Amino acid sequence: MTMRATLIGASALALAAGAAMAEYPERAVTIMVPFAAGGGADVPARFLAQELERELGQSIVVTNVVGAGGTIGATQLADGPSDGYNIGFMPVGTTTTQPHLRGTSYNDESFTPICMVASGPFYLVVSPDGGIESWEDFEAKATGEGATFTGAAPGSLAHVTSVALGAMFDSEIGYLPTSGGGEAVNEVMGGRADATAWFSDYDVRFGLNALAIFAPERSEIHPDVPTSGEFGHPSDIAVWMGLFAPADTPDDVIATLDAACAAAVSSDGFVTNMTEANREIRHMDAAAFDTFFHAAYEQNGELLRNAGLVSN
Amino acid sequence: MDLILQAFGQFNSPTVLVALVIGGLWGTLAGVLPGIGTVAALIIALPFTFAMTTEASMALFLSIYVTSVYGGSISAILINTPGTPQSAATVLDGFPMAQAGKADLAIGWATVASFVGGIFSLIILILAAPALARVSVAFGPPAIFAIVLFALTCIAWLSEGSMAKGLLGGMIGLWLTTIGPDNYTGMTRFHFGTEMLRGGLTLIPILIGLFALSEVFVRAANLGQTTPGTEMNVGFRLPPIGDMLRRWREFLRASVMGTFIGILPGTGAMAATFATYTAAKRFSPNRDKLGTGEPDGLIASETSNNAVTGGALVPTMALGIPGDGGTLVLLGVMTIKGVTPGFDLVNNNPHVLTAAFMMVFLANIIMVGTGVFSARLFRHLLRVPEPLLMGMILLFSLVGAFVVRGNPLDLIVCVLAGMAGVLLRLARYPVAPIVIGVALGFIFEAKLRQGLIASRGSVWDFITDPIALPIFALTAVILVASVARAVRATPVKEAP
Repeated sequence: MTMRATLIGASALALAAGAAMAEYPERAVTIMVPFAAGGGADVPARFLAQELERELGQSIVVTNVVGAGGTIGATQLADGPSDGYNIGFMPVGTTTTQPHLRGTSYNDESFTPICMVASGPFYLVVSPDGGIESWEDFEAKATGEGATFTGAAPGSLAHVTSVALGAMFDSEIGYLPTSGGGEAVNEVMGGRADATAWFSDYDVRFGLNALAIFAPERSEIHPDVPTSGEFGHPSDIAVWMGLFAPADTPDDVIATLDAACAAAVSSDGFVTNMTEANREIRHMDAAAFDTFFHAAYEQNGELLRNAGLVSN
Repeated sequence: MDLILQAFGQFNSPTVLVALVIGGLWGTLAGVLPGIGTVAALIIALPFTFAMTTEASMALFLSIYVTSVYGGSISAILINTPGTPQSAATVLDGFPMAQAGKADLAIGWATVASFVGGIFSLIILILAAPALARVSVAFGPPAIFAIVLFALTCIAWLSEGSMAKGLLGGMIGLWLTTIGPDNYTGMTRFHFGTEMLRGGLTLIPILIGLFALSEVFVRAANLGQTTPGTEMNVGFRLPPIGDMLRRWREFLRASVMGTFIGILPGTGAMAATFATYTAAKRFSPNRDKLGTGEPDGLIASETSNNAVTGGALVPTMALGIPGDGGTLVLLGVMTIKGVTPGFDLVNNNPHVLTAAFMMVFLANIIMVGTGVFSARLFRHLLRVPEPLLMGMILLFSLVGAFVVRGNPLDLIVCVLAGMAGVLLRLARYPVAPIVIGVALGFIFEAKLRQGLIASRGSVWDFITDPIALPIFALTAVILVASVARAVRATPVKEAP
């Protein structure tokens, strides 16, 4: 009865949508990942999809729409139907830095955050045979003869990290852009760059050393790595990612997805898979993620403007 | 010895062997199908690994990775369309050989060449992966740029007789790669305000359009003269042993070049095959016959592209840095399965590494089997009525163009490239230079820009990079020598 009462005042369109949503989800849900299959954003998305299938009782299809820092996929998602059957799994860069940098047709108002799922804090990593052993060594090199930082294309979170480091040391830090991923590490190992930003698997995967973690607190994975705050420069730089729906997706759909996501993220299967893949879980529900997301959007916009990277 | 026994432990379940065989069949088939390349074949198989064990997933993916590179040569030989980008250079000698009624022999050469390249690179991988990984990181942007430049000179070889057309094609190819994101300033180029072009173009839709779709269009318009298949002698015939042994230098050069270029992260099979082809054009005793159905050309292309597989696995396994698009997906799958390739794998889990080596070895053996099998299959397939066959090629081409990025732009680009391909054929422009330009353009620009950023804009420092300088010098010497040769030969060639 209450259902009928709510529907009465609605427009014809909303009425049709509301009726269709009555038993959401009644068919397969597509999760769009704006990066390549097997990549950093794709892996947690596929783990999550596995559990969401169980929670929602429908099959979940993961599709990859690759290109331009994820903005091709994000644009498609923003322009797509907001019926709850097309949602996206997107990281920080695509949703909070690229819109400022590239003047995309979407912005933070184009999406409704559903839940945060994973977050990998960045570490300041160096080669073990590069002669830089500590934060102080790196600061001395940066303020003295000059240091080169490397990472993905300008505007990537690694570049944001480099800009932030420059501000901490009050000196210019050279930036060597690469096509991202392992290529930046290749430049560090080859001695052509001094440092890069990487996740907690920097040691098991590459055998590199970390000088600091860009997080408010030390990590349980590497309790011996100090935070940048311990050197007087508090920071919080992490590649987080989560589920988003196009704006205007009905509230009850978001609520269903939010609840399913919370259950999926705490499920044994998801926790085991993420741990085995060296990935860190961080869950936020729709309300908390909404506040966090809009704040991050503003903060990163300001950072990029200050770095002179926003041309329009 | 302990390691090998431990590694055998990984094979205690028959599922690993089943996964290897299924991977080999799917990999070869995907390679054969124009459009479905290595990366697409791996992506399509990705969902199945969720229900599989770690070992079986690795076996499936390594097998697909190795065999798909080979599968591309079969369609290159039989239908003048490389099944995968890695086989683009195979068309040059494979198709003329097939047209001369020796398709079975061409497939035999391609199979032997692929097997030699695969096994050679595997041996290098087993013996020296960690050491070579250390060498690979010493190759900075100028050195990789120099190798790519060497490979690009292949355009000059392919344009003999119509240098202007070839160079123009190469320039168009290079230009096409500048559309989209500029990864060094963060700007977007040539997108004319459209959302779709923001991501830029990629090789596969252009390659599929120029080769496969244009073939379909030409035949649909009945512009083609004959229906090949009857007189081509489709099948599998092993080349005479003596003939193979006599060409040991070609096998060795292609194996070494393929493996080594494969080791350099991000450089890729296209640079390897064209660099090897260029070297064969210079050093092979049969160099004048290259491009007319010469086995040395098939060896250059097929040995080196399969040698890239073992080469690309070196940084992937030893450093955690993917060597090419295929190993990127492979690395993702291993990570999903709780195996982190790289430092820890080499130092603390060598038995996993040994198991991976054995899987690659078995995949190479399976490759020969699936090759013989699919050559036989093709004999029947080519008897399918032409409209049906062309319809299938059209379907797989469009699926292949779309599946890698999921961007609708790629479908449009593919069809436009197909139409452009028809026009180019009518105007007698070679399509290979455009493909080479697109294939190498991305890394060409990336390494040039990175190198100049690192040298703070100094061209001198860039050119005098200790590893790059000898490669630049070699390129210059070969170019000058061949131009001189061409100039001397010109009056004879242009006589009517």
